[in-house]
Amino acid sequence: MSRLMRTSEVAKRPVVTLAGEDVAQVKDVVYAASGGAVGGFTLAGRGLFAGPLKLSLAWTSVGALGSDAVMIRDEDVLEPTQAVLDASAATGGSGGNVIGSRVLTDAGLDLGEVVDVVIEVGDDPGGPCDVVGYEIAASGEHLMVPASAKDFVVNDLAGFGAAVAEFRAQLEGTA
Amino acid sequence: MRFSEASGRKVVSTSTAETVGRIEEFVIDPRSHSVVALELKRTDTGDTLRWSDIVAFGVDAVTVTAADKISDAGPDIQTLTGKAHRVLGKRVLSTRGDELGRVADVEFDPETAAITAFQLDSGDVEGVRLIGIGSYAVVVHAMD
Repeated sequence: MSRLMRTSEVAKRPVVTLAGEDVAQVKDVVYAASGGAVGGFTLAGRGLFAGPLKLSLAWTSVGALGSDAVMIRDEDVLEPTQAVLDASAATGGSGGNVIGSRVLTDAGLDLGEVVDVVIEVGDDPGGPCDVVGYEIAASGEHLMVPASAKDFVVNDLAGFGAAVAEFRAQLEGTA
Repeated sequence: MRFSEASGRKVVSTSTAETVGRIEEFVIDPRSHSVVALELKRTDTGDTLRWSDIVAFGVDAVTVTAADKISDAGPDIQTLTGKAHRVLGKRVLSTRGDELGRVADVEFDPETAAITAFQLDSGDVEGVRLIGIGSYAVVVHAMD
């Protein structure tokens, strides 16, 4: 079963080795494939006064992204931050900060501002982590928008899964 | 047998019939899913009793052939001791990154030293699922 998560929930999540040590926590999400997938995470140290780390975590090194922790094999899978950023940029990067961007429909209607990114985490370790939608704030209301879709707007995360499936089915049908 | 029942149990020498120590902590090796040693209240000869030196793990006492079986922890045991490697009260994470609960007690086989189950507030986790014990969490294989 794949599951949907808001990236804001992923921030601050501990990064834990299979030996049970929390070696870092997620600071920020690095996007790859023109913002269509998660390329990795920048990291911060654990503890109240710990600052950002010089090491980051590539998505390919993530064993699992769960609801309580990001699991990795051991500390050795962490890479220099620049290497993770470069690898993600090589596949298109995110083209700027996603949070705070305005969402426009193809008809030119401004739907609102992106306040969160919804990602889909599959079961297979090493499988892709796709960006499947955005949560946008529009005139005081929060809407969920499947990535690159304007016809599928729902207002809760629970109903969003069905909208993604429907949207994908339509994409495959028209591809 | 559970850790909570066995903790504090006396260690008796079969040669002198004297109590030579009391169990304080259990030393677990995550790779073998078993108890490899017992930490005792410090005696003249040391504070560690290897499982292989135990004659019997009885209901009322643990027996050893002589008091000098209790020695200082070797380097292999030392890496498995300390607060970071204790399990009671620690959170349990699956390899999927989900928290399953906290360890309330541990069930082990007094014959083989194998950890049979971790007792969590949310239910039991089989001992064979154990992967690692660290300062943050006990990591176990996720159920498919």
